[in-house]
Amino acid sequence: MRRLKGVPLYLVLGLVSAPFLVMYLAFFLQAFSEEISLGVIPRGIGISKNFGFLWKPIPWGLERTTIWEVLLNTLLFAGASGGTVTIICLLAGYALSRIDFRGKGFMLSLQLLLHAFPGHILLIAIFFLLFYLRLLYTIPGVAIARASIEIPLGIWMVKGFFDAVPSDVERSAMVDGCNRFQVWQKIFLPLLKPGMAAVFIWGFLFAWHEFIFVYTLLPGTVRLMSTLIEALVATEVMPPGLLAAVSLFYMLPPLTLFVFLQKALLKVPILGGKGM
Amino acid sequence: MPRIPLLFFFISKLSGLHLFLGPATCFVFLFYFVPVALTALMSLTAMGRTLDWEFIGTENYVRLFSGADPLVLGIVRNTIVYVAGALPTTIGVGLLISLLSMRMRRTAGLLFRAIFFIPRAIPPVVWGYLWAWSFEGTRYGVFNSILVGLGFSPIHWLTRYPMLIVVLANGFLGVSLAMLVFTSAIAAVPVDYTRAAEVDGASFWQVCRYVIIPLLKWPIATMTIWHLMSFINSYVYVMLITGGGPYYATEVWSLYGYHAAFRDFQYGYGSSLVMILVAANAVLFFIAWKALGIRRLLAPTRVEV
Repeated sequence: MRRLKGVPLYLVLGLVSAPFLVMYLAFFLQAFSEEISLGVIPRGIGISKNFGFLWKPIPWGLERTTIWEVLLNTLLFAGASGGTVTIICLLAGYALSRIDFRGKGFMLSLQLLLHAFPGHILLIAIFFLLFYLRLLYTIPGVAIARASIEIPLGIWMVKGFFDAVPSDVERSAMVDGCNRFQVWQKIFLPLLKPGMAAVFIWGFLFAWHEFIFVYTLLPGTVRLMSTLIEALVATEVMPPGLLAAVSLFYMLPPLTLFVFLQKALLKVPILGGKGM
Repeated sequence: MPRIPLLFFFISKLSGLHLFLGPATCFVFLFYFVPVALTALMSLTAMGRTLDWEFIGTENYVRLFSGADPLVLGIVRNTIVYVAGALPTTIGVGLLISLLSMRMRRTAGLLFRAIFFIPRAIPPVVWGYLWAWSFEGTRYGVFNSILVGLGFSPIHWLTRYPMLIVVLANGFLGVSLAMLVFTSAIAAVPVDYTRAAEVDGASFWQVCRYVIIPLLKWPIATMTIWHLMSFINSYVYVMLITGGGPYYATEVWSLYGYHAAFRDFQYGYGSSLVMILVAANAVLFFIAWKALGIRRLLAPTRVEV
């Protein structure tokens, strides 16, 4: 009787999750087979056909590109964006955690307000800003603009890391004659390596997944993974097998990163998910 | 006077504070305050493809509110339907999943939560493509291939139910976050409360209705306001799944602003649409701040017993 009590729970959740399981499974199987029938039954092995993009050029509109060029661009973009977030947040997080100054509460509230503010709707103005700064259509320019969206929450996150370090460590360094910057560089940075990794990966992942900034501000000229998938969807004749395979390839690096660095990443607050 | 000593003089005047907070302040100024000001200025121009600053006063706003643009009314209606559909989906399904999965065995609960967390873990383009492909109108779409296999004729999902699909795709993206927040809030509910109710003979449904949900008041309020703000501004998934179509049937306000600027090249008009959104955000944030307070906005999983 006790066992039976749980059955309705499983039934309800099973029914709600069933369509999603079908979608995920169909998607996954599609990457390795020629065709899918009845939703989830694969027909024919299509690995060499679907994953052929690894050694063959990929059509992009009327032109052609290779996956390695796209991958390199995406790595540069995500790396630049993650690096910017890390440096800026490590500097600001230290000040907000350790230095007392007027307007500190205001600064912290402002960052929260900015985090709630959706940066994606300001795209038109950011387009012009980058145009005037002569950074439009360049990877560094767009990466920096993208980094600005993650900075407000990143500052809160890094402030938390600094808060966790006991103040004796820093005080003894200052008694020994270190100035603020030396304390930051020589005492805190080595102590905060896991935190640094977490912030960097967090910024890297959001930039890696970014679509709308890349699609609008780097159109056609610089090809990234997210715009490659959009371009493949836009060509009507594209077989779904190739798309599923490219998508899996696109999702692989973040998944690998996540599996290997799970412990460091668990310190990241979940409210960071703001890409909607 | 050589220039180098002057430079040193300035650097010596900078305190540690400037060095640490300067870059972040510059960033925030450059990418939040300047864009808002630029949008406000551009909304007063008829800026088009040539990017000339041609000031026309409030003409864009007049066009928006006087009915001179025949699409505006439909877009307002779409936005309301979209938010009114996605928000209850997010909160309701999020609550359902967290309540049921917390009641299960640990691993089973984790497994179900993992299934519903996937939308947030995969890239937006892939999530959008997954929906567009699953609900494709031909017999090659995932759900249509099931229908065809069972002997039905394929349904043209994206033309017949475009709004429903857009609402579900966005709603379940919200579910992934709401579910996590509610789950950790439920975990923080003291066991004595639910045990006492169970001893008194309360059913699972009664425990949820009269004990757990009242205690989740603040997490639910925070998630509601958080997702309300996120849905009125979200356009990326709509763009990826239906592109606003068929014929503006799923075009929401923020997507219309994007399309006005980057598809029709009416940067001025697009900016005025964005300005309205910015104002709506400001009002909503003010309400949230007053109603919830900063502490609850920051820590939505806290349960106040």
